[in-house]
Amino acid sequence: MNPGRPRRKKYRQLSHTADLGLRIRGATPEELFENAGAALTAVLTDRRRLRRQKVEEIEVEAPDLEALLVAWLNRLLYLYDVDAFLGREFQILELNPQSLKARATGETYDPERHLAGTAVKAATYHHLEVKNRNGRWEATVILDL
Amino acid sequence: MADKVKLRQLDDYRWEIPREGKMRTRGLVFASGKMLAKIQEDQSLQQVANVATLPGIEGPSMAMPDIHWGYGFPIGGVAAFNLEEGVVSPGGVGYDINCGVRLLRTHLARREVDGRIEELVNTLFRNIPSGLGSRRKDLKLTIPTLHEVMRYGAGWAVKNGYGHQGDLEHIEAQGRIPGADPELVSDFAMDRGKDQLGTLGSGNHFVEVGYVLEVFDEKLAGALGLFKDQVTVIVHTGSRGLGHQVCDDYIKVMLKAAAKYGIELPDRQLCCAPLSSPEGKRYLAAMAAAANFAFANRQMITHWVRESFEQVLQMGPKDLGLELIYDVAHNIAKIEEHVVNGKKKKLCVHRKGATRAFPPGHPETPAAYQKTGQPVLIPGDMGRYSFVLVGTEQALTETFGSTCHGAGREMSRHAALKMARGRSIVQELKAKGIIVRGAGRATIDEEISEAYKDVESVVEVAHGAGISKKVAKLKPLGVIKG
Repeated sequence: MNPGRPRRKKYRQLSHTADLGLRIRGATPEELFENAGAALTAVLTDRRRLRRQKVEEIEVEAPDLEALLVAWLNRLLYLYDVDAFLGREFQILELNPQSLKARATGETYDPERHLAGTAVKAATYHHLEVKNRNGRWEATVILDL
Repeated sequence: MADKVKLRQLDDYRWEIPREGKMRTRGLVFASGKMLAKIQEDQSLQQVANVATLPGIEGPSMAMPDIHWGYGFPIGGVAAFNLEEGVVSPGGVGYDINCGVRLLRTHLARREVDGRIEELVNTLFRNIPSGLGSRRKDLKLTIPTLHEVMRYGAGWAVKNGYGHQGDLEHIEAQGRIPGADPELVSDFAMDRGKDQLGTLGSGNHFVEVGYVLEVFDEKLAGALGLFKDQVTVIVHTGSRGLGHQVCDDYIKVMLKAAAKYGIELPDRQLCCAPLSSPEGKRYLAAMAAAANFAFANRQMITHWVRESFEQVLQMGPKDLGLELIYDVAHNIAKIEEHVVNGKKKKLCVHRKGATRAFPPGHPETPAAYQKTGQPVLIPGDMGRYSFVLVGTEQALTETFGSTCHGAGREMSRHAALKMARGRSIVQELKAKGIIVRGAGRATIDEEISEAYKDVESVVEVAHGAGISKKVAKLKPLGVIKG
């Protein structure tokens, strides 16, 4: 159907009766985490309509890589709740299984200009998975809506 | 995966998951045969079985008829644990700590608001911030004030002019869960909560103006102050970002605690700590603080509902008679006394998407409802109807005084959006006589009636099984959605 090598999507949304799952991919763990940030923003609003106006420096810690992914997404939700900040692009500056440093570029949510997507309460540990498949990274995380 | 769970039918409304493998007790699911086929499509029955493996569980691991797949515990899950060996789990409460419902009555008959609903809905929408990340620009709390809110709950709101003392008598736990310790709530959580008090939020939260469509039991309805065609208001919201952060913070604590205390977990989201441990006690105190924030939130929204009605209808509070019938929490863990095998015992009852349903004569049933039983409020989807029930003795003995909490989704949000594509849900509802205003189109489309089980079928099971008793059915006229 699709000649040549199919372009891999950075993330897709999985149906779940009450909530929403995210399947995220990346060539490296860093890219996986960057794409996870973008996937979360895409649930909350139309990501492409966000301007690159504000930069947030973020540091997160967790006991392991899977928990770190949840902590990372929940920190982004925190920034949204507190400052209405939504990231369009994410750059992981440092990553090890127990901590990360990142930079998010985006802007303050403005209901006049931005699409109101689906509200997310939290990223959960339910069926949480981060794994390396034939050299590529893949993660599944379920969001509580 | 779901077909692995064995089920045995006990009667028309009860199904047993026999004790197997690591389960410490059996599972008990309240459902009709018809509903069960749908329930078996996802993993919620496995989740009932998973909860049964946790230490110190008393009685069966239960699921109410609105059961659906949650994370860790199923939504609609009820589980009680003894204080000696038992555990408390943030996943058994949920992210929206003390998400709940309150019902207000009025002195108005439906015809008195004819032609005024649109204006009422618009005014409510203006006065109550709703939608994604809604915040109050006019009300930013300082940390000491936020601490007071978390300590005193709805009482704080009343003391500060939002509602009156009489309201508190009509709220579960008088709107204040004892033992709240704001010092155990993180700065992150308080940052999220400080300008969200008095906001509706998003998702399935709403304020709904409706009327009594049908009365099932005249005597009970009369005792609750309900009559046919009477205008009513339902408020459904919880502890907002503050509660979500408390849950997330303590899940992290519990992941470590579960390992420390050697609790084997079939799913990380079930993480928990013994009720007797410092971690368990700290969670309960922080949860109580978040729950009190939610009680204060619904109390303040009630104040703005009253103001909105006064503005639009140009009537005073006495003529409007907007009085609180009751306020129930449906995401909570509470320390309660129950009789187990003939002995009184203190238990920690987790209700995740389940409502307390205490009978007449119970000391925790408010004075006004000592003869009727505690009112139980079951909201349906925005296009159908909601129900008022009362608690029963059967519930107290069989389900630790618990019943269902709502319709329960049966369609994913994706499927709902797909079904709503090309349609104007707002226009369709208007044609049915329901005015809806929402902050975003997506939230309205995701909440279409077709996405939910018919709440009537859920209520029929709860009523048929005797774990609550039907009083009245309410129909929406106008809704504001987050």
